[in-house]
This record gives sequence, structure tokens and C-alpha cells, in this order.
Amino acid sequence: MLALPRPLVLVVLAALLGFAIALPFFGGPFALKLATRIMIAGIFVISLDLLIGVTGMVSFGHALYFGLGAYSLYFISPDSAAANAFVALPFGIALAAVVALAVGSVAVLTKGFYFIMVTLAFGQMGFSLFFDTKIAGGTDGAYINVRPIFSIGSQQLLNFSNRTAFFYFCLAALVLSYVLLLWLVRTPFGRVLQGIHHNEARMSALGFNTYAYKLASYVIAAAMAGFAGVLFAAIDGYVAPELLGWRESGLAIMMVVLGGAGTLYGPVLGAILYSMVEETLKSSTELSAFFSLFANTATAKWLGGIVANSWSMALGFFLIATVLAAPKGVAGFIEKFAGEAKRARPKEIAPSSGERKRASAMRLEVENLKRAFGGLVAVNGVSVQFPPNQVHGIIGPNGAGKTTFINVLSGALKPTEGSVRLENQEIGGQRPHTIARKGLGRSYQRTNVILPFTARENCLLAAQAQFPSPFRFSNQWRRKDEDETIEKALRAAGITPERADIKAANLSLGEQRQLVIAMLIASGAKLLLLDEPLAGMGPEETGRVTALLRELSADHTIVLIEHDMDAIFAAADTLTVLVEGKLLAHGTPEEIRSSAAVREAYLGEWGQEAKQ
Amino acid sequence: MDLALIQLLNGVQYGLLIFLAASGLTLVFGIMGVINLSHGSFYMLGAYCALTLTQFTGDIFLSLLLGVPLAFVFGVIIEWLFIRRLYDRDHLQQVLLTFALILIFNEAQKLLWGSHPHSVPVPGYLQGGFKISELLTYPYYRVAVAAFCVALALGMMFVIQKTRIGRVIRAGESNREMVEALGIDSRLLFRFVFAAGVALAATAGIVAAPLESVYPGIGEPILIISFVVVVIGGIGSIKGAFLGAILIGVADALGKVYFPAFSSSVVYALMAAVLIARPGGLFGRAA
Repeated sequence: MLALPRPLVLVVLAALLGFAIALPFFGGPFALKLATRIMIAGIFVISLDLLIGVTGMVSFGHALYFGLGAYSLYFISPDSAAANAFVALPFGIALAAVVALAVGSVAVLTKGFYFIMVTLAFGQMGFSLFFDTKIAGGTDGAYINVRPIFSIGSQQLLNFSNRTAFFYFCLAALVLSYVLLLWLVRTPFGRVLQGIHHNEARMSALGFNTYAYKLASYVIAAAMAGFAGVLFAAIDGYVAPELLGWRESGLAIMMVVLGGAGTLYGPVLGAILYSMVEETLKSSTELSAFFSLFANTATAKWLGGIVANSWSMALGFFLIATVLAAPKGVAGFIEKFAGEAKRARPKEIAPSSGERKRASAMRLEVENLKRAFGGLVAVNGVSVQFPPNQVHGIIGPNGAGKTTFINVLSGALKPTEGSVRLENQEIGGQRPHTIARKGLGRSYQRTNVILPFTARENCLLAAQAQFPSPFRFSNQWRRKDEDETIEKALRAAGITPERADIKAANLSLGEQRQLVIAMLIASGAKLLLLDEPLAGMGPEETGRVTALLRELSADHTIVLIEHDMDAIFAAADTLTVLVEGKLLAHGTPEEIRSSAAVREAYLGEWGQEAKQ
Repeated sequence: MDLALIQLLNGVQYGLLIFLAASGLTLVFGIMGVINLSHGSFYMLGAYCALTLTQFTGDIFLSLLLGVPLAFVFGVIIEWLFIRRLYDRDHLQQVLLTFALILIFNEAQKLLWGSHPHSVPVPGYLQGGFKISELLTYPYYRVAVAAFCVALALGMMFVIQKTRIGRVIRAGESNREMVEALGIDSRLLFRFVFAAGVALAATAGIVAAPLESVYPGIGEPILIISFVVVVIGGIGSIKGAFLGAILIGVADALGKVYFPAFSSSVVYALMAAVLIARPGGLFGRAA
């Protein structure tokens, strides 16, 4: 989970803040204006980092909201009077948020490369709206004649045309934005966003409506960008379509990466570094001074002139060198010096109250289930019942349709025909997170836990899913029973307290599997659907997890696919044999072992051996 | 009516040109997993190449013969210098590095050719056009460009469907690891695919040069529109890119007639509609 900044980072940030506060006392108007621009860019890029670094959505159209914010100030400003900033700022934020809600509801449907391109296209759409039409001066842009003023009645509180006052306002806004986002990311809501970044399928399987979460973070980021846009328009009092264009979006991405995505403070450093480098490269005097360190004055002047003349080429090379040498940006550099974060001390857990009440597990019934991919029928008319509080194994040769079968059960695939009932309630064809909310939790073949989170944080995330308020912004709203649930789940899955505060990335494969189970329990699942929970395990780990499954069946129903025949025949109460998408047999392990049909179709030599 | 017909023809012809650029982009992303923002720069490179070479050779088609191999070699160099360092990196760093390449190419263009627009002559034997009505003619050169693009598209489909290299490309597109496991040197494959993409974009730039003036930043609209085409067609699909390009070309041309104020938005609206219906594009794997 995104940690609070390390002491070294805090020192750097405090030094920068101190410098900024002192700047108006020694810097000229040019420096002040540049610094104001950097502050505003800082707000813009940390809002983008919420998308890129936290939720993991690379938006290439974020400037759309920045530009809309800027244009909103033009729209709301009277021709020859000042707009009230108390109105202008909320208006810009609201405009950006409303547009983001509309755009996001489409864009968030896509992922990865498609999301990048879709956001790019929407950004260009906004750009051409202002570029191709006569709205607000078209290609020429438009002027805001009088800067906004914060005023109540006739009382002026802060006039944006006062450069120093405006600079301090932007500085305060940047600090506030940073603190606000840092807080947001560390709330239960933000934890889910980080979970989505690292493993969206897992989050969906835990019962989170990931679409809604992603859309919410998209809208929040856009609103913040809109806020930055309003401030930006107030610097020069000029807006142009280019503000919404893809170059502006690209620059913002560049600042985020340059500074270090996913740290929130990094992008601000990126904005500072980028602007400083750009200014230096544009100025032949500063460049000549730099080159004169290596060469005589004439040569230095000549070199400086050349570079300043083609400064954007030099900037290009600078960026390439940075991205190749320091892929984690400035923040990565600082964090390397700051060293490893100290591990949080594991909390003491009160011993369990002893008696374990038998929770009500769930019954799953499948009737005449069919799933076809075009002409290929992967699951063909399977009817089977999984009574509660038992371990049910699904076996079958490769390509028998086992994974398709449980994908349909968990909602990852829609059934072509037939019904799936959980506790007599039809769930076939519902969305995965809806099914998960109803108590069916699943694991995937590839272990997927949220690697940068500790085991306990993973469970916290899972527990959060079972309590209905979807977006939660405060840890205070955490319920007492949530903590209990987590400790119980960790214990039930056999994760010892001293391992619970280790990052999931540092756990063994077996422990990660146990953690998946712990997460499912913490999410409140009463029926666990496990896809090869034993794959890749050594005999000792296999034994441990099998015993765990037996124990869990006391208050859960367990359905698992498994290839390890010895383990599953030992652990399961019933076995279901699928061959070529059809149900071949269903019964106790003894019945399956003695079934001639099964032996012939599937077990082959193994069956012969087992007989002997 | 005649205007609409002409715009329809222009749309198809524009679509064919976009296809050349977009096919390179879709291959580079589909096979190498690299988002290449500098693709539009290679189109620009082609256009300026046409400008300079035509001054020497006097004929755009001779320039094409010289320019395409040059572009291919240039592609090999760029891949070797920069792009190969991106294969193991995430999208974000690819976006950043190729964005930086745009800055470099634009500046290089300014240094070499200046920032004034130039025009490239249509060869003498293709001056004039077909008479459509009393007032309207359709230029021979546009017809020649369309025919050339169709021939090239057919050639590409033949190479991809029927030849050994095509089979490797198709395999690489659906499963990169597997191709390596089968003993094909993916470094060579990637270098070839990237250079071929550069050559295709440059080809589009060269043949388009006489159609419009050659100016700085000429590649950027092509880059954006190519991305739209790739998304509509589905990543990695040549067939999808072809269909998407024609669709976009026609939508854009007709949009200019019927919704002049929102002509560029028509294209993006079309893309949004396709994505809502099929999030993986027309011929793409599910995203």
C-alpha cells in the first residue's frame, strides 16, 4: 500500500516548500510567474498520478479536463469585470467532473492500450470542438480581460491579479491537493483503487464493482485537473484549444513518469524538473555558462546558441536518457537513498474465543449447463449438485472444460444455456462481483494476490468488500467486526501472525495460495471455488493445504479443480468427472475409483495402479 | 450530389492512405507490444523525403523507389538505437520515450527543411483528371494513389497469409513467447517488423506529398487517426486496420460535407460507438 512519505522525502519536500515560500522576497516577476506555472502543473500532474500510479489507468487525454477548467473561467468571466473565484472555481471543477462522468462511463469499459487510445481520442474530440468551431475564438483562443477575485459581497479577499497573492494561493492549493490525495489513497476507497491497479480480476472476484471504482477515480482526477485549469487560465488570462490537446496530455504523462508514478509527490518533482530543464535549454546564456565549464568561452557560446536554438531536440534526448537510466523517476532515486521502509510491527491478536460456531455454508446446484464458443461446446449439458459443508473435486483430462465450467459458475463467463443456483437463487449470467457479494468466492489458477500489500492488508481489502457501503473514505468507519473477520480469516487459512505483516510479494508460493483462501474467507464467501489450489506445490505444502481445506469445510462449501489425483481423492467428499464438456460421473471417491467408465475414459493406467 | 460523390471518392482514397500508416502501427503494437507515438514522424519523414528526392529525380514514383528502402534502413537504425530498449518496459515508458522521439524528429525536420510549407509536383503524365460532370473532374493522381494503395494492401495480405515470414508474424501476434520457444529469433523479427512499419508509414507520406502541401507537423493528425483506426480494427489485425481505415476515411470525408462544424468529432464518435459494442475492436481479441 502507498506509504506515507519517508523522512528523507519529507525533508526534500519541506526544503522545496521553504524555498517556494521565500521566493517572492528575492525572485523577480519572471521567476514568480514560472513558479506559479509549476505549482499549477503540479496540481494537474498529481491528479493524473491518481489515475496512472494509483489506479493504474494510463490516460492520454487528461488535458481535456485541464483545458475545460481553463475555458470555464473564460465562459464565466464577464467581459469587463472580474469573476468571483468562489463561483469560478467550483464551476470549473463541476464542468470537468460532469464531462469526465460522461466520457469515463465509456472509456472505463476498456483497459490497457485501448484505454490509452480512447482517452486520447476523447481528448482530441474536445480539442477539435474548440479548434474547428467558433466557440471562444476558435483556433485563435480567447482572452479573459479581468482576473477573478475571491469576494464576499463587496469585500475583496484575494485578487488573482496580485501576482504574489496568487502565487501563495497556488502554493497552498498544491499542498492541499497533495495532502488530500495522499489521504484519499490511504482510505479504504484508495486501498481498493490500488488493489485494482495490481489485480483487477482479484478485486472483482472479491465482490468489488471495479467499474464504479475506476469511474470514481477518473471523475475525482478530472475534477482536480479542472481546478488546476481554472488557475492556469488566471495566469495569463488567455485560453487556447492547445490546452486540451494531446501534446498537453503527453507532457503531463511525461512529468508523472519523470518524477516517479505512484508516489503522488514524485510528479510534482517531475513538473519542477521538467520546467527547469526546459527553461535552461531555451536560454542560450545559461547554456553558455554551463558549457564554459568544459570549453573556452567562444566555443561555449557557440554550443549554447546551437542547443538553445533546437532546445526541444535537446529536451527529447534528456527525456530519453532519463527514462532509460531512471525508470522510476526522481522519486525512485530519492527512495533508493531513503533505504528500505521499516516494517510495521505485527499487532498482537487476542486468542480466539475458542468455540467455533458452525457457519451456514452454501449449496450450489447446476442444471443442464451449456457454454459454447462459436461452434465449440466447452461445457455441454452438465447437471450436478454440490451440497453444503463438503469438499467437492472436479477432475477431468486437459481440455475437458473444467475451467470453463467454473468460469461460468463464478460469472466470468455467461452460460449459453441452463441454470446455476446458489441457495436456490439463480445466479447464472450475473456479473462476477454480484455473484461474489452473494457468497461465492473464487481463486484463479495463477495465484493472484495484491503483491505490494501485506497479507493483512490483502485481507482488509477483502473484508471491506463484504460490508455494503461501496466507497468508504475513512478508516474510522471500519467496523469492529471487520478486524475480527480478518484475524479469523488469517488464522483459518493458517497464516501465522508473524507472517501477516509481510508483503505478499515476499511470501512463498504456498503461503500466497493460503492468502488467497484467507482473502476469500475474509470477503465473507461461504462457497469457495478454487482453481488448482495445489498446482506447483511440494508434498509438504500439499499436505498442509489439503488439511486446511478439510478443516474449512466445517463452515464452507468447497469446490475445486485439481490435477493432483492422490491429494484430491484423499481430500474430497464427492468427485465430478468431466470429459469433453460432458458429465461422465459424479460420486464419492470410492464410487469414482471403481467406475469402469471413468477408468476407461480418463484414469487409464493410473486407475490400474490404484486398483492394485 | 456530385460533391458528395467526390467526397466519397476522396474518403476512400484517404482511407487507403491511412491504412498504410495504421497497418504499420497495428503490427508494431500487436507483435512487439510497443506503443509507438513517433509513428506519425515517419509519415512526415516520407513526405519530406518525397520533397527532396523529387527535386533530384523529378518524379514522385522514382522518389518512392529510392525513399522506401531508405525509410526501411532508418527504421532499423531507430529500432537498434531506441525501440529495442522498450520491449521489457511498461506502456508508460514507451509512451514517454516515443513522445521524446517526436520532439527530436520535429526539431530535426525544422533544421533540415525549415518551417515553411512546400509543395511537391504531380508528375506530368498524371496531370488532369476524369470528367465526372460539366464542372467536376477527379484527378488522375488520386486514382493512381488509390490503385497503388490497393495493390500494396493486397500484397501485404498475400505476404501475411501465404509466406513463411507472414506465418511467423501471425504467430508472433497471437503468442510472442511461443514464437521464441520455437526457436525464432524474436530480435530479428522485431527489427524487421518495426522497419517495415516505418517503411509503410513513409510510403504513405511519399505518395501523399503531391496531394497536399508538405509542412511541419504533417504527421501528427495521421498518428492520431491511425490510433483510432487500430482501436476500431482491433490491435494487430491487418484486416481490421483496412476496414477501419476505409470506414474512418469515408466518415471523415462525409462528415466534412454534412457536419462541417463537427467533422473531426464524427471520427471519434464512431470509435466510441465501436468500442461500446466491441471493446476489443472489430477484429480484435477481447481486451
